[in-house]
Amino acid sequence: MKITFVLNGRSRTIDAPPLARLLDVLRGTLGLTGTKEGCGEGECGSCTVLLDGVPVNACLVAAGQCDGRTVLTVEGLENKDGLSDLQDAFVTEGGAQCGICTPGFLMAARALLAGNPQPGEGEIREGIAGNVCRCTGYQRIVESIRHAGKERASREPG
Amino acid sequence: MNPAEIALHPFERPASLAELCRTLSTRAVRKEKTVLLAGGTDWIVERRLAPLESPDDLPLVLDVSRLPEMRAIHVAKEHAAIGAAATFLEIKSHPVLSRRVPVLTAMAREVGAVQIQARGTLGGNLATASPAADGAAALMALDADVVLASVTGERRVPLTQFFTGYRATRRAENEAIVRVEFALPRTGAHQMWRKVGTRAAQAISKVAFAAVVELEHGRGVRAGFGMASVAPVTASLPTVRALALAPNLASVSEQELEAATRRDITPIDDLRSTAAYRAHVAVALVKCFFRSLRTAIGS
Ligand SMILES: Cc1cc2nc3c(=O)[nH]c(=O)nc-3n(C[C@H](O)[C@H](O)[C@H](O)COP(=O)(O)OP(=O)(O)OC[C@H]3O[C@@H](n4cnc5c(N)ncnc54)[C@H](O)[C@@H]3O)c2cc1C
Ligand code: FES
Ligand code: FES
Repeated sequence: MKITFVLNGRSRTIDAPPLARLLDVLRGTLGLTGTKEGCGEGECGSCTVLLDGVPVNACLVAAGQCDGRTVLTVEGLENKDGLSDLQDAFVTEGGAQCGICTPGFLMAARALLAGNPQPGEGEIREGIAGNVCRCTGYQRIVESIRHAGKERASREPG
Repeated sequence: MNPAEIALHPFERPASLAELCRTLSTRAVRKEKTVLLAGGTDWIVERRLAPLESPDDLPLVLDVSRLPEMRAIHVAKEHAAIGAAATFLEIKSHPVLSRRVPVLTAMAREVGAVQIQARGTLGGNLATASPAADGAAALMALDADVVLASVTGERRVPLTQFFTGYRATRRAENEAIVRVEFALPRTGAHQMWRKVGTRAAQAISKVAFAAVVELEHGRGVRAGFGMASVAPVTASLPTVRALALAPNLASVSEQELEAATRRDITPIDDLRSTAAYRAHVAVALVKCFFRSLRTAIGS
C-alpha cells in the first residue's frame, strides 16, 4: 500500500504493508533507527513517536493508519543549530545513561512541554509514566525535563 | 505471530460507516473473517500471542480509527454520546465530560499511560470484553447503552446485558459498535472511580470500581456500579445497587454491604492477585463509597 505522511516536517510516500508496524517502517524502510524497540507490546515507551503531535507507541501503530498524518521522531527534534534545548537538557542534567530509552523519553517530554510549558514534578511523572528506564532511576530525567521548561521560560519572558 | 507475519493481513479503510457495514455484511454472509482495528492496543498485542495462520486465512482488517461517525463526542443537556473510536485522551480532555462525568474522565486518565490513552478507544475496550476493562466498568456505572450498527440499521443493547461471558458479547459478526450513550448524571451526583493495582501507570488493575448515585431527600434515585477483575465479565453489582436504591439507604449496615458485594462477585486467583485479596478490596471500595453517601445524607 502507498502510504503518504509528513515525517519530521517532510512529506514522504512509501510502499509498505499496511499492517507493518510504524516502528519497522521507520527503522527499516526509512532507515531512521533513532526510535528504539524495547518490549514490542506497548509497555516500555522506548518506541514513542508523535502522531499528529500526540505520543504513541510505534510498536502498536499500523503503518496504514498513518496515511495522511504527521509523524515526528527523535531525528526530527534537532534544529539548524544542532540539538534542541530539550536534548541539551538531557545532556547537561544527566537524563541519559545507556540511552536506549532516551528517544522515547524525549518524545514524551516534547509533547508534555508543548501542552504544559512548565510542568510540576507530578505532571512530569505522569507525562513519562509510559516510559521505562533501567539506568537513571528517573530523577535525572525529571530534572532534565524541568530544566528544559525553565530554560525556555527564561528565554521567552512573559 | 511475529510482526512480519502480522504485516501480511489484508487492510482496508472504509470511508464511511455505511461502507463499513456493507463490507461486514457481505463478508459475514460468506463466512469470511473480519476484524475492526481502532487503536490496536488490544488487537496487535493479542495477535503477537496468536499462533501463525496461513496467509489465506488471515482476517481482513478494517481501520475504523478515523471514521467520522465513530469519532464524535456529543454532550447535550442531559445526555452524552461518545463515539466508539474516540480515544481515552479525547475523553479525558473533554471539558464538559470532566465536569459532569468525572467517573469517566478519571477512568480515562488512568488507562495505561499517555501513549495508550492516545490510541485506546471505548469501542475496543468493550469489544475485547476483558473482565479487567476499565472503560467497561465506568460505563456500566453510568448505565450506558451500546449502539451497534449494521446494514439493517442501529440497535441498542444495555451494557449490563452486552457481555455474555468471558470475552464474549452480543455483538454479531456483521455489526460494529458505533457509540455509547448514557444519561448525564445530575450536577452533584456522587461519582467514584478507584483503580487498585500495583502501580499507577500501565498496570492492569487488581480491582477497579466505578459508582454513580444520585440522591434525593436522602434516598437513591439513580444508582449504577461497575467493577473490573472480580468476575468473568465486568460486574454490575446488582445487589449492591438494590441497597443504594433501598428506602433505608442511610441505615444500611456494613455487614449488609459486605454480604451484597460478596454475592455479586466471583473473583479468581491469577498472576495479578488472589481471589481473597480481590474480595477484600471489593468490599472495602463499596463500603467506602456508601460511607460517602451516608455522610452526604447526614449533612
Ligand atoms: C500497555 C497497555 C496498557 C493498558 N492499560 C489498560 C488499562 O489501564 N485499562 C484498560 O481497560 N485497558 C488497558 N489496556 C488495554 C487496551 O488499551 C484497551 O482495552 C483499549 O480500550 C482498547 O482499544 P483499542 O482501540 O486499542 O482496541 P483495538 O486493539 O483496536 O481493538 C480491540 C478489539 O475490539 C474490536 N473493535 C475495535 N473497535 C470496534 C468497534 N467500533 N466495533 C466493534 N469492534 C471493535 C477489534 O476488532 C478488536 O477485536 C492496555 C493495553 C496496553 C498495551
Ligand atoms: S517497544 Fe513499543 S512500547 Fe515497548
Ligand atoms: S538510560 Fe538506560 S534505559 Fe534509560
